[in-house]
Amino acid sequence: MTKTKIAYLKNKALWVRQQTLKMACGAGEGHIASSFSCTEIMVCLYQGGVLNVDPKHPKWSERDRFILSKGQAALALYPILADMGFFSVNKLCTFAKNGSILGAHADDAVPGVDIHTGSLGHGLSIGCGLAFAARMDRKRYLTFVLLGDGECQEGSIWESAMFAGHHKLTNLIAIVDNNRLSASDHLDKYLSLKSLSKKFGSFGWKAVQVNGHSIPQILNVLKGVHNRKARKPLAIIANTVKGKGIRMIENRADWHYRVPVGKELESACKELGLRLDFINK
Amino acid sequence: MRNVFFERLYELAREDPRIILILGDTGGFFCEKFIQKLKKQFINVGIAEQNLIGIAAGLAQAGKIPVVFNIVPFAALRCYEQIRIDLCCMNLSVAIAGVGAGFDYNILGATHHGLEDIAVMRGLPGMTVLSPSDDTMTKVMVDYCIKKDGPKYLRLDRTGMPLIYSKNHKFNIERGFHVLRRGKNICIISTGRMVITALRLSEVLSRHSINAGVIDLFRIKPIRESLLCHVLSRYKYIVTLEEHFITGGLGSAVLEVLSKNAQNARVLTFGIPDRFCRVYGDRAYLQKKNCLDLESLKRRILKETNLLYCSS
Repeated sequence: MTKTKIAYLKNKALWVRQQTLKMACGAGEGHIASSFSCTEIMVCLYQGGVLNVDPKHPKWSERDRFILSKGQAALALYPILADMGFFSVNKLCTFAKNGSILGAHADDAVPGVDIHTGSLGHGLSIGCGLAFAARMDRKRYLTFVLLGDGECQEGSIWESAMFAGHHKLTNLIAIVDNNRLSASDHLDKYLSLKSLSKKFGSFGWKAVQVNGHSIPQILNVLKGVHNRKARKPLAIIANTVKGKGIRMIENRADWHYRVPVGKELESACKELGLRLDFINK
Repeated sequence: MRNVFFERLYELAREDPRIILILGDTGGFFCEKFIQKLKKQFINVGIAEQNLIGIAAGLAQAGKIPVVFNIVPFAALRCYEQIRIDLCCMNLSVAIAGVGAGFDYNILGATHHGLEDIAVMRGLPGMTVLSPSDDTMTKVMVDYCIKKDGPKYLRLDRTGMPLIYSKNHKFNIERGFHVLRRGKNICIISTGRMVITALRLSEVLSRHSINAGVIDLFRIKPIRESLLCHVLSRYKYIVTLEEHFITGGLGSAVLEVLSKNAQNARVLTFGIPDRFCRVYGDRAYLQKKNCLDLESLKRRILKETNLLYCSS
């Protein structure tokens, strides 16, 4: 892993955050904080070359599948898909506008999005189905599912975790965006998940932890993922900060669905290196 | 119906390896041949209904033809949101077979009664809702479920006897209904296992000189509205008969069609009133408690219509 590649991906992550902020401000609403906490994870998967996908052929049968189970982070996924060439970057400014295909949650009508999400707790089950089918057909594609840690309060996640562990779905990789916050509060204050690593481990998964904002760490844990020898599904617990990138909104539940305005917006733009007049452009 | 369903599914799956049977810990004893001979096309996901539908969605996304089997409340209700988003919103080709329509699982109580499934399934965009009335039709509907794109819900009983249709009957599932008996003034529309009751009711009414038509509405969604209205236009009274809550079921579906098409017939909706059944007994007993036995139905029809006096 070269320093150039890391710098390149860091720049991509900054660009994605800039686009996310622009789109949310243009719409007047959106899940900025949830998107910022998993930006590096998705940048590594796509622009880091982990996912085997072809933007020219979004439905290529051998592609790796990616399910954004925490669908509210579509605000970060869409700039990434546009940058990859699944659709035009110009389309991003239509976010949430009348008639747009780009909304607040991941929609499978958007090129590059396989699964429609937004209601939490669905993605891992569908991932199990895709992974199971791949094994039946001896296909080599992998299925990646990005979960929120708050989402792991859903019982359905553990139904799927049990299934994947029992069937040893080695072609299934769950990445948990472990920012320790949900829409209302810090998870540990009202319904703690305790150790996600231990939980996944006890369900028959190999669980590893990384810093979810460290590009080298993320790439390192995903290195060789297509040739894993372990006979277990892989859970990557990515420790993150909700709202990462704009200090004012970091680690604060009240920013789950807020968009900065006035002085807040000035400060946010300054941190992300954006000109304030972008909103009128 | 359950045995015919599994038997036909086995025959089709033997020819088409894309067909995958998914159970949620129920029904295994009735499909042993499938499980033993088509091991690779069978998954028991355990008592995990939400995951069951998600897995079916993933399999369908990957080009398989998943067929889900479970008891009605666990097939249609426990995992409703997964059906709504994972199957209907993405229009995936998955067939859900719910066994235990109405009071089929009589003594298992309210938890196992299937009395809301038509209402909730027909509320989903893109969902096809099928309700066979005997074993002959069940077999044809299994074929239809495998061939037809999109999500399907197949409402089954454990048994499918007596037969209403001959074994060689040619069904047109797309037509959605079959006129079993042409009548005068009054027509009974029913579905599933209540169709046999409708036929018997028609016989009972004939003893009172009432010539009641009988229609088997086996595809509750979508309904060929203009065709059904055309057939019903000759009747002054229309009776809907179902083993389902009156709210949202077959009767509601028929009323929606008639109201849109400005039909002037008086409609009587017979089904289960708006309360859970908290007594136990056999199916006939539970039906009688809810006034769905022949005598009660006859009395209600005679009371609500003036046909008796007209004909006498």
